[in-house]
Amino acid sequence: MKKEITFIVNNEKIAIEADPKWTLLYVLREVLEMTGTKEGCGYGECGACTVIIDGQAVNSCLYPVMEAEGRNILTIEGLMTKDGELDPIQKAFVDEGAVQCGFCIPGMIMSAKALLDRKPKPTEDEIKESIEGNLCRCTGYVKITDAIRSAAGGR
Amino acid sequence: MGSFEYYKPESIAEAMALMEESGGKGVYIAGGTDVMVLIRQRKLSPGCLISLRNIGDLAYLDTSSGLAIGSGVTHNAIAKNDIIQTKYTALADATSKVGSLQIRNIATMGGNICNAAPSADTACPLLVLDARVVMAGKNGERSVPIDEFFLGPNRVALRPGEIVKGFEMPAFNERTGSAYIKHTRRQAMDLPMLGVAARVTIRIDGDQIGCRDALCGIENISDILKRFEDEKLVCEDVRIAMGVVAPRPMRAKKAEGALKGRVISEVLLQEIGEIAASECQPRDSIRGEAWYRRDMVKVLTKRAILRVVDRIIRPDDTIWPERLW
Amino acid sequence: MDGLKFVGKRIPKKDAPLKATGEAIYIQDLKLPGMLHGKILYSKYPHARILKLDTSRAAALPGVKAVLTGADVPNNFKFGFMKDNPPLKSGKVLSTRDEIAAVAAISQEVAEEAIDLIDVEYEELPGIFDPLEAMQEGASLIHEELKSNVLKLPWKFVHGDVEASRKDSAFIAEDSFTTQWVTHCCLGTSGCVASFDVGNNLTMYSNTQIPSLAQNDFLEALKAFGLKNRRVRIVQTTIGGGFGSKLDTYAYEYIAILLALKTRRPVKLVFSREEEFLATSPRQPTITKISQGCDKDGKLTFREIEMVLDNGAYTSWGATTPSVMMVPISSLYKVPNVKYTAKCVYTNNTYSQAFRGYGNPQATFAIESCLDQLAEKAGVDPVEIRRINANEPGEVTPQNFRITSCGMKECIDEVVKRLDWKNKCGRGDGRGVGMASLIHVGGAARVYKSDGCGTIIKVDDNGKVDVITGSSEIGQGSDTIIAQIVAEVLGVSIDDINVINNDTDVCPWDVGVHASRTTFVAGNSALGAAQKIKAQIMDIAAKTLSEPVDALDMKDGVIFSRNDKEKNIPLGKVLRKAHYTLGGRMLVAENFYDPPNENFDQTFRGNLSVAYAYGAHGVEVEVDRETGQVKILNYVAAHDVGKAINPMLLEGQIYGGGLQGIGEPGLVPTAPAIANAVYDAVGVRIKDLPITPEKVLRALKEKAGQKT
Repeated sequence: MKKEITFIVNNEKIAIEADPKWTLLYVLREVLEMTGTKEGCGYGECGACTVIIDGQAVNSCLYPVMEAEGRNILTIEGLMTKDGELDPIQKAFVDEGAVQCGFCIPGMIMSAKALLDRKPKPTEDEIKESIEGNLCRCTGYVKITDAIRSAAGGR
Repeated sequence: MGSFEYYKPESIAEAMALMEESGGKGVYIAGGTDVMVLIRQRKLSPGCLISLRNIGDLAYLDTSSGLAIGSGVTHNAIAKNDIIQTKYTALADATSKVGSLQIRNIATMGGNICNAAPSADTACPLLVLDARVVMAGKNGERSVPIDEFFLGPNRVALRPGEIVKGFEMPAFNERTGSAYIKHTRRQAMDLPMLGVAARVTIRIDGDQIGCRDALCGIENISDILKRFEDEKLVCEDVRIAMGVVAPRPMRAKKAEGALKGRVISEVLLQEIGEIAASECQPRDSIRGEAWYRRDMVKVLTKRAILRVVDRIIRPDDTIWPERLW
Repeated sequence: MDGLKFVGKRIPKKDAPLKATGEAIYIQDLKLPGMLHGKILYSKYPHARILKLDTSRAAALPGVKAVLTGADVPNNFKFGFMKDNPPLKSGKVLSTRDEIAAVAAISQEVAEEAIDLIDVEYEELPGIFDPLEAMQEGASLIHEELKSNVLKLPWKFVHGDVEASRKDSAFIAEDSFTTQWVTHCCLGTSGCVASFDVGNNLTMYSNTQIPSLAQNDFLEALKAFGLKNRRVRIVQTTIGGGFGSKLDTYAYEYIAILLALKTRRPVKLVFSREEEFLATSPRQPTITKISQGCDKDGKLTFREIEMVLDNGAYTSWGATTPSVMMVPISSLYKVPNVKYTAKCVYTNNTYSQAFRGYGNPQATFAIESCLDQLAEKAGVDPVEIRRINANEPGEVTPQNFRITSCGMKECIDEVVKRLDWKNKCGRGDGRGVGMASLIHVGGAARVYKSDGCGTIIKVDDNGKVDVITGSSEIGQGSDTIIAQIVAEVLGVSIDDINVINNDTDVCPWDVGVHASRTTFVAGNSALGAAQKIKAQIMDIAAKTLSEPVDALDMKDGVIFSRNDKEKNIPLGKVLRKAHYTLGGRMLVAENFYDPPNENFDQTFRGNLSVAYAYGAHGVEVEVDRETGQVKILNYVAAHDVGKAINPMLLEGQIYGGGLQGIGEPGLVPTAPAIANAVYDAVGVRIKDLPITPEKVLRALKEKAGQKT
């Protein structure tokens, strides 16, 4: 029943034999062994699994992998440059103290990345909207929004 | 979880043929934000999934005369559309408040409606905007008013194999506006405890400067409504719809009848709220108690109408006195 | 100010880059060769007799490697604070989270399928879900072998004469307050991987907050399973949130151990989000009867509290939270006469556990709500009554806490200032302000025999420093705090310091991450170790440079003489010299810090902590009178934190605490501050958490004489 599909993950062309019932999250974590993308709930409620598909932030836990065919997917692993330089958003999260237990952070960063790629100078409301689907239990969100603002050069 | 095929048809006809082939065991999937959850919860074990995501004919958004939206258009695309924000505001209100941005980026309005949860946010706006649901079937297309589309919780007027193609709404004049108020525990990522939508057309006899001033400056709702009454602001036409307070999203037709053609006043809006509350049948649930929901129908009906009038009178000025609500 | 280079600085968390790039390995991410996946079947009913339990269809499913039921638990083993909890239940289930069977299979999917194939027949029994009902004479017993549903625990504290002072009080406020279950809801769900070696020694990959105590628990279990004299190694993966949820060991861990033992393969058992809600232990719900009195000037005369806690069907360490509730009850404000009793009661509900604050929030909700009621009766402003009774340095409280520094008044004043209290209080126009204070342990808390933490420091040939600490990193930033302290002492850069904190095979003992103790205890432990190793280094350097030790200093990895800057030597060179000389030596130091605090005596007196943390929170709210919704307009948290080792991480703790109900002391006064503000805004007092729009609206309607 498996079908071969191809798609792009972090600028790399991937071909896999996919079971049609798999979600994109399952494929990322279990097939491609890219465990940076987290599963916090599996129901699209927490945002820990957020990845960017063709420019849009999406819950990979609800995304059928068959729909990934031919699409361009960016995950947390794709943000760092080849020589180990952090993406400015990652750096802002580190420097602003936005990271505690860290489980929500990859998803949070991908949501922020989708926003800043689309809108380099977002409004306060846009920052909040961008992460309204990302739950964090440690930080109270203050330093997370600080980090996004800082990454946007707003401080 | 048993395995299943996943089909990606590119036309409505192809999708319907696949459904027929599956002997009715297939399940259409659009954004998948409901279907994937049901599968994970083992409440749904489809023979196959037939994706509607790649069908170009479901992806239209046409504002040239009235509003026509394909069922495959995402919530975010609707919420961010300028024309919808200004002329079909209730729909922008609702689509911008569904789930999270991640959900709105893939969840479609067709899915929200076909799932027919009593809590579907887009249902109330479609009810007040006189939407018709266009369905494609083996024997061609047909359409029904949205009110006839909802049969009960998770039950809709689709015949086997049929696909909702889209939604059509008429054009409204400039004296018409709409709003949807979603009442939730959390500000984001929550289903509504209840939702109320209203569309109002007002008759403007004078310049309504007093009303405008009141809306710009006065903090107290009673005082604003007093001004409406003084300036004889007449409600020429109205639709009110309520969600989560009955087995299906419903119109408050008696309340509409009582408001139509009359001067808006505090006493009247109070009365309209009471009538609307008497029309609904809320239940106790973990999200809210029945008495509270009924009470909120009264409050939100009043506020929704007031918000609509404000939008009509002050189309460019969306800043509300901070204290209003 | 003090020439410090690292301590007191806003230094980013050491592990943040790992977490921000997705490289950190959480339990969810761990894979071992040959690893199986475990899954648990829970009871369908809160109280039922199991009539039939047939696992044969599950066992026959291809890919299933083991199926366990209660019959497979050796020697009637039970775990938990009262040893009342078998990892797999048989005969009768006492709550909906009762584990009745478990499987290990080659994949998560097969394991789930197998669980569905287990046939169970129940005879449903009536349950008791209300602790007050469970306490009634003749109530059926949750644990039939016990005499009562009330746990045999000694929670009673008496100081002075409450009865006499009640008579003498000018004003008395009396009321009842209730609090609800609250789930920790860690973003990373609970889980473990259990693995045995050929000699039946166990390695547990775990996200526990208490590696040393968990090691002990598992050793006991192995003994019960017939494996005496084995080793247990705990390896902590990156922990996706703690908040007290991982201060105990749980059935799933023992089940994973049993499955691994039976299959001889590593078994991973990670909770789904549903399981995390269903089968982890939330904060204890409480029913609190409180009365407080004051004299005519508003000075507190007494405080009496009777509390009932819903223990649930089994007992965790959470049953000891009344001992921490005593902290605010005896010592939040100066109260000369205090009486407190608490009963933990078995019910058929989920069993509860510690949650951030360890009981303090429940007690403080009642105390601070009731204090506003008392202020109103006495005609004293809520701020004034708090200032009049505020704790002060030098005070010895009824529990014999010796208060050293105390910035309570300053915190109250800061809140008043920042909230513009004077202009905003008492308007009754839908907006209002409220305040609540807090006391919490701030210099560790001796709740266990030892309150200590060990540190080992070794320095390698190149001047890199390994700090091996007993303390755990659960997101709070202990790794960074420890690195800052060691870097400060040794004069090396933060990046040269590697903190190893996740493996009981190498890490020294520590009682666990709780009671806001890690920075203080682990920090002092690391400080001592760093000083010891510095002395060794200086000793060698002194000989090498032919300078007296006290003339030497170390900066940026170079040791130099203050007398003669030319005389200097890089740290690495000193170390290599020590190492490679004939009869050479390693540079290793160890230190164990156990603070000079005291266990409670039998009357619950003793200086539990060597310092106490004070603070005050104030909030401005707006209440929508038509909907009952409460909007927070402004929130001010003032904390006496002493010296912050890392202000940025500290802020993170306070912001995060604020959201959860608002580090650990951070969430204590949130609920009462909001309840007090709601009262100020619209004149209704919500005594039952959570404060929902329904409750507010109902109270408003009752006040107005309307029906709901």
